[in-house]
Amino acid sequence: MRFLFAVSALLAVSAASNAQDHPFDGATYANWPSYGGTAFAWRYSALDQVNGSNAKNLVPVWMFQTGDYAENLQCTPIVVDGVMYLITPRIQVFALDAATGRPLWQYKYPTPRPGRPGGMTFLQNRGVAVGDGKVFFGTTDNFVVALDQKTGAEQWKVSVDDPRQCGCDITAAPLLVKDKVIVGGTGGDAAHRGYLTAFYANTGRLAWRWYAIPAPGEKGHETWKGDSWKLGGGAPWMTGSFDPRLNLVYWGTGNASGDFNDEDRLVEGAKGKEANLYTASVVALDADTGKLRWYHQEIPDDLWDFDSAYECVLIDRPLNGQMRKLLVHVNKSGVTFVLDRVTGEFIGAFSLPEVQTWISGITEDGKLVGRREPESGKVVNTCPSAAGAKSWNSIAYSPRTGYIYAPMNEVCNDLTSTSSEAIEGRFHANGRFSLKLPPNRTTYSHLDAWDPITRKRIWSMPYRYILLASVLATAGDLVFTGDPEGDFFALDARTGNKLWNYQTGAGNRGSAVSYSVGGRQYIATPTGWQQAITGGQLAALFPGQNWRAGSALIAFALPEASK
Amino acid sequence: MKRAILFFAIPVLGWSQGISDVKRGEQVFAQSCATGYCHGAKGAPAGAPRLAGRGFDQTYITNTIMRGLPGTAMLGFGTTLSRVDLGAVIAYVAGLNGIANPSINLGPGAVSEGPSGPPLSAEAERGRALFFDAVRGFGRCSTCHEINGIGISVTTPIANIPSDPAALRALATPDVRSVTVDGETMPALIVSQGKTHALFYDLTSVPPVLRTVEPSALKVAEGTTWRHSSVIGAYNDAELRSILAYLQEAAKP
Repeated sequence: MRFLFAVSALLAVSAASNAQDHPFDGATYANWPSYGGTAFAWRYSALDQVNGSNAKNLVPVWMFQTGDYAENLQCTPIVVDGVMYLITPRIQVFALDAATGRPLWQYKYPTPRPGRPGGMTFLQNRGVAVGDGKVFFGTTDNFVVALDQKTGAEQWKVSVDDPRQCGCDITAAPLLVKDKVIVGGTGGDAAHRGYLTAFYANTGRLAWRWYAIPAPGEKGHETWKGDSWKLGGGAPWMTGSFDPRLNLVYWGTGNASGDFNDEDRLVEGAKGKEANLYTASVVALDADTGKLRWYHQEIPDDLWDFDSAYECVLIDRPLNGQMRKLLVHVNKSGVTFVLDRVTGEFIGAFSLPEVQTWISGITEDGKLVGRREPESGKVVNTCPSAAGAKSWNSIAYSPRTGYIYAPMNEVCNDLTSTSSEAIEGRFHANGRFSLKLPPNRTTYSHLDAWDPITRKRIWSMPYRYILLASVLATAGDLVFTGDPEGDFFALDARTGNKLWNYQTGAGNRGSAVSYSVGGRQYIATPTGWQQAITGGQLAALFPGQNWRAGSALIAFALPEASK
Repeated sequence: MKRAILFFAIPVLGWSQGISDVKRGEQVFAQSCATGYCHGAKGAPAGAPRLAGRGFDQTYITNTIMRGLPGTAMLGFGTTLSRVDLGAVIAYVAGLNGIANPSINLGPGAVSEGPSGPPLSAEAERGRALFFDAVRGFGRCSTCHEINGIGISVTTPIANIPSDPAALRALATPDVRSVTVDGETMPALIVSQGKTHALFYDLTSVPPVLRTVEPSALKVAEGTTWRHSSVIGAYNDAELRSILAYLQEAAKP
């Protein structure tokens, strides 16, 4: 086991010395080509110019202000051949010189006509995808748009659905898979049937659509009561992953709608068991056809809004002496699942939050036990909360340490379930939650390093408020993330010791990346606190805290003389 | 103490509020507004912004609660809450904003969510559901047609309504032409041909794709092999008849 790990570490190092194009490697090099770094979603850079011995010398080398302060800068910057691509929630796209921050071109999407009031449409955007000479993104009025990568000129535009009907839109970065661009949409807490849609990158024509809820006659449809499948939720609202060797696309799906009350959707005898497929699941789809290959439902009969929509991290690690292709997935509850990504076989699960009352535990085969469910007319306190032990911000994985790095929030909620009719495109949570801090604590979040194979926590950095920024890991054995007070910092990936800190002037809710131009390694992070939904909800727990909004990108590097 | 504050905030003048109405407003707010996704208890911030002490005026509060805020997750409650509950919750939010004497006019038209015409016949109602039927994915009519503010307006508004399904299938499509871009010929609906850009919908497959090309890159030829019948295959004759009935009734002035 130890020997095999050493070999794999060596392989990782030798791979890092190759220059460009590493189609089967989860690490990034000069470029940061995809939302999760690569389609393996490691958020790990193989660059090691910045490392434990010199991180303290990092200085800001440029800053870019988008001028669009709505809901901060939520995107993961994409960097290709020295050009950085950013998108703001109001759909302004910028191409910048990644070495200087100087704008090369700018595109502004026309102000969309208003969506249907009360749907789950959001003024948020988490990134573009770049490839095939184009820049792709989704919009608040539910179009997918392709721009010319060189000029920013619009090339094609296609409607995914009318947000005035579905109450859904696109906030996630698209995933580029071979000749297709794949997008998920919002609507998990609305009366809407979630889906993924794949378009051909060169023409915008439809390639395939996969519905998270099977239609009559399809396997899994029998897990829905009556017509509830038509508006049953399950929206895959974040960005998936892709393994080119297996030709499989991996995606997490949202919770069933009517979140906190299963009366209308549950078939007889399914209480607490696998139900309402394929909501709250990780699924593997054929990349060419969108056909389901396997699924794993993480939260059967989900009654806590614990969707499975977050990133699927694809890692290869030895298990009982054998190298395995695995998928690591942190559920919104903080329960983290390790699956065989070839077959979907359950390997193990472990829980990252310290306060967990919604279940009493998980069995060795991944069953949730001691479920504490919301009830009608009663207030049931459960931890973690519907705001998530983790939000949509991503974890990172380092192949050098073998650890995942995950931010966790220790927040509970008072849940009450209600009952209402599903109206297409309307918010439909069938309950409410009120966030509460757990008693007898002085810190309410932590950034942890976990070994997903041994399921052991290696180190933990506690923090007094909450953490909602993505994590970046690098081959310099560094881990970068930021906090709502504005500090962006570097930790030693092996010990968690803080090595460097920079006050960015605004709350950190974004996703940092690393890249290089002309042999110089950059670490770049968006800053600005998200006000609505999760950012605002959690901020309200700490009255008097002023976590500042903003919309800037700050790039750091070692001073020219010392690199 | 809490009750006393609310009592002073919403006196009995105007919208004649008593203690029970105030309590009702607070209850409605807790049930329908303070879900956690949206507002917090007593107008505290949660998923949506704080409502208490924002200095909102009465008209804004009434309109927003009745009609919602387009483009945001704030939905209108004008059609989903009873008038008593509406009055109570509007008065409650007014109280949270220091409006001591709320004068609330729900108005006869205020509860309407959208344009309301005469009620549809049963067949037309079936047709309406079919026109927008999400189960049919991109095969539904609203993939290319917008009616009463829903649907994607690829085409111009529907002007002539065919008399029967056969006529609907055989519909002449003079606006659809053949364009050639990069050596590929496709059926297209031209949107504009300017000096710097030409815009057209590629109708090769559904949904149509709006393409932008340089005018010199586009060759246009009259005529096409594309037929309306090729995109309405998701519906049978009976369903098409219902859809036509809906169009007839929806088009009435």
